[in-house]
Amino acid sequence: MEIVTNNFEFLENGLGLSLVVFFPLVSAFIVAILPKKQELLIKLTALGSSLITFILSVIVAIQFDYSKAEQFQLGSKLSWIEAINSNYEIGIDGISLPLLLLSTFITVLAIIYSFEHLPEPKSPKGMMALILILETGMNGTFVALDLILFFVFFELVLLPMYFMIGIWGDKTMRSVAGLKNEVETRLYASIKFFVFTLFGSAFMLLGFLGLYFRGAKTFSIPELIELGTSGAFTGTFATLVFAVLFLGFAVKVPMWPLHTWLPDAHTAAPTVGSVLLAAILLKLGSYGFVRIALPILPEQAKAWAPAIAILSAIGIIYGSLACLAQTDLKRLIAFSSVGHMGFVMLGISSLTSIGINAAMIGMVAHGVITGLLFFLSGSMAHTYHTRDMGRLGGNMKLLPKTGALLGFTAMASLGLPGLAGFWGEFMALLGAYNPLPGLNIAIFRTSMVAGAIGTVLTAGYLLWMLQRVNLGEPNEEWKDKELHDADAYELAAWIPLVILTILIGVFPKLIFGSTNDAVISLVTKAFGG
Amino acid sequence: MEANISINYFAISSELIVVFTIIATIFFDLLLPRKSKFYVALVALLGSLVSFIPLIFQWVNYENALVLFEGSYIVDKFSLILKGLFILVTYLTFLLSINFIESDRYYQGEYYYLLLSSLLGALVVASSRDMLTLFIGIELASAPMFLLSGWKKGDQKSNEGAIKFFLLGVLSASLILYGFSLLYGLTGELIFSEISKILLVKNLSTSPAALLSAMLILAGIGFKISVVPFHSWAPDTYEGSPLPVTAYLSVSSKATGFVALMIILTKIYPESGSSWGIVLVIISGLTMFIGNLSALQQSNPVRLLAYSSIAQAGFILAPLAISGISGDYEDGIYASVTYLIIYAFMNLGAFLVVNVLINTSGSNDIYEWGGLSKHQPLTAIFATVFFFSLAGIPPLGGWFAKFVVFRSLLSSGEIFGITLAVIGAINAVIGLVFYARISKIIWMDAPSENITVTTKNTLLSPLKVVGFISLAITFMAGIFPNLFSYLGNAASLFLNS
Repeated sequence: MEIVTNNFEFLENGLGLSLVVFFPLVSAFIVAILPKKQELLIKLTALGSSLITFILSVIVAIQFDYSKAEQFQLGSKLSWIEAINSNYEIGIDGISLPLLLLSTFITVLAIIYSFEHLPEPKSPKGMMALILILETGMNGTFVALDLILFFVFFELVLLPMYFMIGIWGDKTMRSVAGLKNEVETRLYASIKFFVFTLFGSAFMLLGFLGLYFRGAKTFSIPELIELGTSGAFTGTFATLVFAVLFLGFAVKVPMWPLHTWLPDAHTAAPTVGSVLLAAILLKLGSYGFVRIALPILPEQAKAWAPAIAILSAIGIIYGSLACLAQTDLKRLIAFSSVGHMGFVMLGISSLTSIGINAAMIGMVAHGVITGLLFFLSGSMAHTYHTRDMGRLGGNMKLLPKTGALLGFTAMASLGLPGLAGFWGEFMALLGAYNPLPGLNIAIFRTSMVAGAIGTVLTAGYLLWMLQRVNLGEPNEEWKDKELHDADAYELAAWIPLVILTILIGVFPKLIFGSTNDAVISLVTKAFGG
Repeated sequence: MEANISINYFAISSELIVVFTIIATIFFDLLLPRKSKFYVALVALLGSLVSFIPLIFQWVNYENALVLFEGSYIVDKFSLILKGLFILVTYLTFLLSINFIESDRYYQGEYYYLLLSSLLGALVVASSRDMLTLFIGIELASAPMFLLSGWKKGDQKSNEGAIKFFLLGVLSASLILYGFSLLYGLTGELIFSEISKILLVKNLSTSPAALLSAMLILAGIGFKISVVPFHSWAPDTYEGSPLPVTAYLSVSSKATGFVALMIILTKIYPESGSSWGIVLVIISGLTMFIGNLSALQQSNPVRLLAYSSIAQAGFILAPLAISGISGDYEDGIYASVTYLIIYAFMNLGAFLVVNVLINTSGSNDIYEWGGLSKHQPLTAIFATVFFFSLAGIPPLGGWFAKFVVFRSLLSSGEIFGITLAVIGAINAVIGLVFYARISKIIWMDAPSENITVTTKNTLLSPLKVVGFISLAITFMAGIFPNLFSYLGNAASLFLNS
């Protein structure tokens, strides 16, 4: 610790964060101009740069002053677009720090996994470059403190993810309502993902402009928070702005009923794509609520909170019921995200420090656990050449390592106490039981009950999934086949996630230590509670 | 009137250089033997490049707007920026043309001097402040295009497109003239500032005759900028013309029309903005929807780009429309010109891509372009950048163009502005579907069986130059939009001159 604080002071004035954001982009360019034949060099460059980015983010985390976690730190403000008073303003507080670390961490694992496990067409060069560009978008969103900068990074993730799904995605044919001919799943899923998200964010941008004109002609998030908490935005105008921000963020989360892109995109994406999508991209939406929508428009947040709670509860129940109906392993995990993000949003909608803390730890836990689940299911799909749970079975006997990890992760995902998934669900329910005074108790308690039923259903579908996939006797068709269990690259990508799941489960303070003060400050300032 | 008109040659040196280049290309074309007609192209390229230089000097030494010919011709920052744009676009069009014109064994000279004449017209429009000069500028800019659009003489589509373009062009010219004649009848003046003064003094700004003249001029220029309902010629003419000409039509000709529109609306009709503003709001909204929805159904890349450029015109028009209603012309002009400049380069880039891919695949059907990224990796990257920039995806330049438009629409808080912004947001999403389709096809689709890739994998170097210049500008505009801050200043100078 001492060494870091003493030797890396030069990173404190925004340079560290800027490097965390832009170093991957520069590396992506380097990867892009390396000759295609030098595959190993390309992979090592990508791995090296993602590792350096991760180390930089760890240095930032060490430099971060946790006693002032509610303040934006280690940032800088440089002039960017003078004409509209938009600046290159960055910084982190206790809320964004864990998500930033999660993002840099998962990227390293995604790159390790991609060393050997790329679907057709292999082309590691393209994949590595896209992952690194994606990382710039993700990290940038978490550190941006200017609405326009936030918007640019928020949108920057779309292109790489679009190509990731479209090029490396699922090549099976599927029929689409309204089209005569069948289309490849990847093509349908990639454009659906893009169009849904752009639809949300196009309106979100209008909302940002509304805040700009009604506020003090500024896009600075800290300044807008000051304005918002002092009641600058009111009336129909503010309601409309909240509505469009809601649209932008809720599509990304995704909240029911805007979730329909998610099962398609997750199922069609290549394994690393699903992992990054589930682990980080979904968090951009919920982070947007916590960072922008709640503190800048507190009154509207109060007005909308019951609606958000209801939608979250529907999302939880709907997600778990949909899971129970799945035969496709990957699609099941995709739908489970709808449920889990429902808990995150339920926590946020309570507008209490418990609920928002629950959302924060829920986001990280979902990133770690569902990321791992997508790794495992992707790898199994690769081994068995099918994701159909009817044909799988006896996985524990066929692939003991993968099977054991799948069992562990499913337990974590259903919220077993002692593992990471527990805190988010439990505390979100607690938050919903006791929402911010003044909110409609009946609605929140009903949502809480729905959420509690959801946890039971979640346990139900995950255990059923384990029963169908892991237990029992292997199907006849696998008897004589040579099946490869997890290799070194896979284990190197997975074990860190397992460790993190246990660590967060046992020491939730790892997250709360960073988020708690910031969340309490947010709630006090915005809602006085 | 006194006879001693002293002309400030420095102020019009760009125009003069273009005139000399036109004469030079005619002479070289006559004198050179068939084999070395290639030098005509060099002369044209060089001339257009040299004509850029005076602009730099004028910009650096800028103090006040230079007024020539009794106020008919004004060189201010606004006109300098647009002249720079016109010259650069023409230069890039020449580069696009070199191999295209050569490959068809057509005569060279006419092509270059026609395009240069059109450039001259555009330059005149940017500075003109009276009805005659403006009209001559507009027609000088469009008449050569009638000929150029029919360049592929043996091609029926080219003939059809050129005839349509010509007939509607004549109609549009007569509409503009009719409008001008009404104005002249009302005021007895040619110079815009005088007309506007008299309209104001005599309280004629919203008189039926003045409004009728505005509508006639609007309709006339509506053809030039191909907005709904004056857009029907564009897809046919674009499809029939040689691709570089199409690129020029959709960029430079459109920009010329917009500049003329801006000058006329803000210099003659600043007082009746609420009347023409509403008309423009409707036109702009319809143009976006019809352009985008039609583009959605195209399989021919050129027609797709034609409808796309119609839709983009809707975006460019939107801030002007709202500025009429709110009276904040400075903001409207800033937004429209910013959009126009960014649009020019990403659209040129898109035409470059289409040009190369048609040549590579030999097919005019985008659905046959599957897997072309393997044969043309650099072009595929260009395609991704330019088409997604047209769709407005950050960090490519198109996002900033859309952003300034949205900003200008919402700045007044008027219901019309908000409505147009919502329409724009919906259209941004519709646009994405067909812009993304091109990338999808060339990167993700399987190679088509009907296609045999003929040309070699390399891009010709003039095309590369066009690609990289457009690429650089597209990225710079998206990442450092501060580059456009000088436009705000130029817009305010323009309005107050």
